[in-house]
Amino acid sequence: MPPVGEAPRTAIELSDRALVRHFPQLETVLSHTLDRRRMLKLLGLALASGGVAGCDPGTPDRGFVSAVRAAEGVVPGLPNIYATAHVRDGYAEGILVAHQMGRPIKIEGNPEHPSSLGATDVMAQALVYDFYDPDRATGPLHKGMPTSWPDLAAAMQKMRATAMTPRADGTHAGEGLRILTGTITSPTLGRAIEQVLAAFPGAVWHGWDAIGRENVTRGLGLAYGIPVSVIADPGQADVLLALDSDLLDSAPGHLSHARAFAARRNPVNSTMNRLYAVEPTPSLTGVAADHRFIATPGMMNEVIGRLSARLLQNEAPSGGPDWLAPVAADLRAHHGRAFVHLGPDYPPEAQAAVLAMNEALGGRGKVFSIAESPLYQPAVPTSTLKALMDDMERGAVQAVLILDVNPASQSPRFAAALKHVSTSIALSDRPHETALAAQWHVPLAHAMEEWGDARGHDGTVALIQPQAMPLYGGMNALSALHACLGQSLRPAMDLLRETWRDQLPSPRDWHDALATGVITGTASRLVDVPLRQVAMRVASPAPSPRTPPGPVLLLRPDPYLWDGRGANNPWLQELPRPLSKVVWDNPLLIPPDMAQAMNLRNGDRVILTCGTTRTQLPVWIQPGQATGCVVGLLGWGRRHAGETGSNVGCDLYPFREAEGFVRIEAARGDSISVPSTEHHATLIDATPSDVARRGTLAQFHDRPDFLVEAPTPQDTLYRREPDAPVAWGMSIDLNACIGCNACVTACQVENNIPVVGRDEVLRQREMHWLRIDRFYEGTEHAPDTFFQPMLCMHCEQAPCETVCPVGATTHDSEGLNVMVYNRCIGTKFCSNNCPYKVRRFNYFAFAATESRPAISRNPDVSVRARGVMEKCTFCVQRIAQARIAADRDGTGEHVVTACQAACPTRAISFGDINDPNAEVTRRKASPLTYAALPEQGTHPRVTYEGRILNRNPAIPS
Amino acid sequence: MTAETGAKVEDGPLIFPTETPHSLTEHICATTLHEGEDGWTPLWWWLGLGFALSLLGMGVISVAWLFYAGLGIWGIDWPVAWGFDILNYVWWIAIASGGTFISALFFVLRAPWRTSLNRLAESLTLCAALCAAIFPILHLGRPRFFYWLFPYPNTMGLWAQFRSPLVWDFFAILAYVLCSIVFWYFGVLPDLAILRDRAQRRWQQVFYGVLALGFRGSGRQWRHYQPVYGVMAALMAPLVVSVHSIVGMDFAGGATPGWHSTQFPPFFVFGAALSGFAIVLLAVIPLRPAMGLQPYITPRHINILGCLLLTSSLCVAYAYVMDVFSTYYGPDPADRVMFAFRLHGLYAPIYWGTIMLNIVFPQLLWWRAIRLKQPVVWLICLGVLIGMWLERFQIIVTSLARTQLPSAWGQYTPTVWEWSLLCGSIGLFLTTFLLLLRFMPMLAIAEMRSMLGNRP
Repeated sequence: MPPVGEAPRTAIELSDRALVRHFPQLETVLSHTLDRRRMLKLLGLALASGGVAGCDPGTPDRGFVSAVRAAEGVVPGLPNIYATAHVRDGYAEGILVAHQMGRPIKIEGNPEHPSSLGATDVMAQALVYDFYDPDRATGPLHKGMPTSWPDLAAAMQKMRATAMTPRADGTHAGEGLRILTGTITSPTLGRAIEQVLAAFPGAVWHGWDAIGRENVTRGLGLAYGIPVSVIADPGQADVLLALDSDLLDSAPGHLSHARAFAARRNPVNSTMNRLYAVEPTPSLTGVAADHRFIATPGMMNEVIGRLSARLLQNEAPSGGPDWLAPVAADLRAHHGRAFVHLGPDYPPEAQAAVLAMNEALGGRGKVFSIAESPLYQPAVPTSTLKALMDDMERGAVQAVLILDVNPASQSPRFAAALKHVSTSIALSDRPHETALAAQWHVPLAHAMEEWGDARGHDGTVALIQPQAMPLYGGMNALSALHACLGQSLRPAMDLLRETWRDQLPSPRDWHDALATGVITGTASRLVDVPLRQVAMRVASPAPSPRTPPGPVLLLRPDPYLWDGRGANNPWLQELPRPLSKVVWDNPLLIPPDMAQAMNLRNGDRVILTCGTTRTQLPVWIQPGQATGCVVGLLGWGRRHAGETGSNVGCDLYPFREAEGFVRIEAARGDSISVPSTEHHATLIDATPSDVARRGTLAQFHDRPDFLVEAPTPQDTLYRREPDAPVAWGMSIDLNACIGCNACVTACQVENNIPVVGRDEVLRQREMHWLRIDRFYEGTEHAPDTFFQPMLCMHCEQAPCETVCPVGATTHDSEGLNVMVYNRCIGTKFCSNNCPYKVRRFNYFAFAATESRPAISRNPDVSVRARGVMEKCTFCVQRIAQARIAADRDGTGEHVVTACQAACPTRAISFGDINDPNAEVTRRKASPLTYAALPEQGTHPRVTYEGRILNRNPAIPS
Repeated sequence: MTAETGAKVEDGPLIFPTETPHSLTEHICATTLHEGEDGWTPLWWWLGLGFALSLLGMGVISVAWLFYAGLGIWGIDWPVAWGFDILNYVWWIAIASGGTFISALFFVLRAPWRTSLNRLAESLTLCAALCAAIFPILHLGRPRFFYWLFPYPNTMGLWAQFRSPLVWDFFAILAYVLCSIVFWYFGVLPDLAILRDRAQRRWQQVFYGVLALGFRGSGRQWRHYQPVYGVMAALMAPLVVSVHSIVGMDFAGGATPGWHSTQFPPFFVFGAALSGFAIVLLAVIPLRPAMGLQPYITPRHINILGCLLLTSSLCVAYAYVMDVFSTYYGPDPADRVMFAFRLHGLYAPIYWGTIMLNIVFPQLLWWRAIRLKQPVVWLICLGVLIGMWLERFQIIVTSLARTQLPSAWGQYTPTVWEWSLLCGSIGLFLTTFLLLLRFMPMLAIAEMRSMLGNRP
């Protein structure tokens, strides 16, 4: 093999290179010149090793043996469930992984974990694809070319030797060594870093996340003086004020917040709380509010300032928007039961102001508590990437170890700065931008393939245990750090056990902790630290002195791709964004008045300029967005995300570091089709049917069943109720639904629903069985937003069944509208006749063209062929399992559908409506319950509870 | 040719007085058997066949690609799951009604003028029904299993689902196509015998001999033939009504706004009559000079067909008015939203095109002068056929594009593969019709001869 970079001399060499790219292990063999004798030897070896290849190589740290005999406890057809955790930006969300015959298939929330409570978010649901992703790294790279593990070990040895070499100038060992990681809450990882830092006193650790929360951390430091965290319990609050907040959708602990919040939203079950939201662009937290006020980013500062003046200094109201006074009065009226939450995009001073407001409102200990920070080294500022890049450009960095972060994609300067570093090693699960920019790329095992731990938002430690052997090989982060120390590789599990030796002394404790997934008693201790007086003083951030000319550009993480890490996951790419329903693209979200003024329509391309940074991208009109405020979603336009995610959408990270005024010009005569699963701005007034019913709390108190139409005479002639002892039904509480889409992804994973891709979505052929319909009411400038999950209603009088000529869709005795794929000939009449339009047709062989391996599919659910109709089955496979379990154990059939299990707010309840004690029966008896499109006479088994808004009478609507 | 401009066209002759049974037989046999001086296969036939075959080839490619790649090559999607497939099917089956109306219904009614037209009209029916019959199979996601609609004993223990209008439709179409073929064939039987007897070439003798099934024109045969033909005509007349009623019920049986209407069965019969008469006029007007049929198909025929076209256009107009009335009188807001979209939405030109072509332009036929201006009548008929196609687009696509939930609103843009399939079906129609023109007698010789009676 010639040295890399030298031109290949022969065709054979050329083909060798291609071969080596795919099988880096062959490099040593191919580097020798081939004579006839050697060639024959190789051929013989290849022949002989054909059988060997089937054997399991085992891993260095575990003596795994391939399953010659069935593993104990694995019953074919039954799932095995193991607890672990999904970590995003440091914070853990406990999950349970369901395996089928040893293959991870489906993820559920871990009910024992306080950040999950049994629910999951979209990203955790989609983790299964990341695990099987064929684009993951398969071997180490050196300067972008495949290399071997021994070479890598040698390089690390060299790096260590260089770092250890005592300097002439007497600096510490390790001077010039930098470790860059994301936010860390993992005690074991923290310990490993400590050890490295101890061995190399000159080394520096940098924590950095593309979507960071350092404003919050610094705000807490400002307010309390020591590193603490706020643990909110929105369920205790009667009045909440969300200031451009991510309380319910992405803040650490958002699943538990959403659960607690939603528990107070249905007036039938509880006294309703009241949520005010003030924000420039609609967020899920904002659209869940009873009153949503729109404020530009400049106005937000003013609002915070005036509010703190009202609440802290008790100033009389003067100026500001006219809703401010009643909101402040409402907050004060609920002293001790009021909570204010500010999003992470506002400066530490504003954060401190809000913390001071909360203290003034007296909610501490009730609606929120102050606890020790779960972060590793919370005192170290985390936003230190800029400092690192400065050092790299100065030449002060000799070696950098990048652990599972991707700064090259998220900070335009980073790749260039990295060139000044003599040794750079990037650990990542795929050869992404940073891995290719660094000299060495080390494949990182997936989170489902390694041991680890991480804290949840309240500090509770979740244990991460491997769910499978590394599919593509790969190191784990703990081992990598130990390799830096030059010690022999230690199994990560030993390191983990060492950390928790005190808490889990016996193997039994360890086993129990692994089984539950959490280590009990590790929640952060509450701290009794008072608010610093200085916080009261900094508490009034001055309203921004001047508003810059032109629009304000807000950059927000994509709700599903997040900082870009989800880009190669087609489930996330094709999941409709909650409000715009856009998929496979990140158009610039513009307010309706800007669209009017510039005569822009959805999909028109504009040139976005900020200083010297410019790009071209399509626009999407976002009703309810503040005037003069445009929103770009980060995480798109990745260059090396993988087959699926590379070059999808537009990379807006450069705008984060750009300085100057923002300008938007229409690109001439240019418009592209932006794929969205909703093609019509659905103002509710234009909706012919009263499908998403809603009202106010006052109306509810007046007449609780005001949403239910006058009872129609029973059409007894046609009513035919299934007569089995069990009757499956579902109730969906629209008060609880926050539109997060976790159910949609859960349904997609559980039911092997194929992804169709951008072009097919443009042709309106997406396959989701469950969709979240979004309705706007009012003007497009300030609408109220309503979500309605829409899935197969399992009508007792199903219109689809009567029109199928071959009886491929029929009713079963338990009331399920079942679809017999094998019988379907594809007339599509059932879909035409479905008033809810929840049936999906396989126009192409979508499942066959998916990039994920077949082993990643749920074996309990048929994969549908081309030309076949499909739809929600109420998770009939889960019903069947429950029936078997009930027959075996003699207990009742307890079925939890995939959507229900994932829902953070328990909006969905499912069960036997013949059982008077079932949750679903109780909820169906609610006065708010109604059926969608009752005039169709379909008698759906899915009913909704109408949404009630708790309006403040003091605020005119 | 004085009758071409004659004022009293209603009393004009149905056959020119100069014609005798002998001359008629000579003319038709010469045409069909390719004999004599005006012996046939003119250039226009070859050009037409070439054109038809090229269209057909396009259709064959389209179908082959469809079977290989799947339904996804069409523009249909989940809100609008039916497009050109069902549209073309309904369009063709309506066109196929003309022959049956003229041949069976007016036979039962003893209208003497139908005799000159029935063979041509029935042949058109046959070709159109063939085109219609392929679409229900092509539109299936898994077309290889189309026979599951048929209740045959099978190991799966499953039958067709008889509540589905598609099953009724399957039987209606099957019955209609089979009966049309038998009726047509039974009608042509005596003429085949005549051709057999007159054929000079060996292949023609064998060809027509086999087809004639031993019909010899004996008194006994005629005694059986006449009542059987009468019974078959009496069966066909209600069958044409039932088939279009059931096609209407394909839609009326659905809960979709714009489909769910009790007037659909008669509405579809009206539409079928309109397109049936239009296609007959469309074919007859150029074929008269082209095949020298002026002595047998006179302006009086054109006049009568024009009147029928006008009548059925008025019937269709009534249905359109009732459509508007029931939408706005009825209680369903979804219907009104859909109808508003139909009137001024994306597909509004299609609605208004339908109204113009099917209702407004045919009103010109109130004037006798226009009824006798054959090019104008021909253009009106062409307009009607396009209008009927647009009407089906409007019923199928516009309704599906605006159903009850706005989140399921969609739109439909046909792809090149759907257009090529439409062209292919036209090619199939033209090819089969041209072949029939060439090899089958295009006038009912035996019936005409009995009408001519004892003219010397």
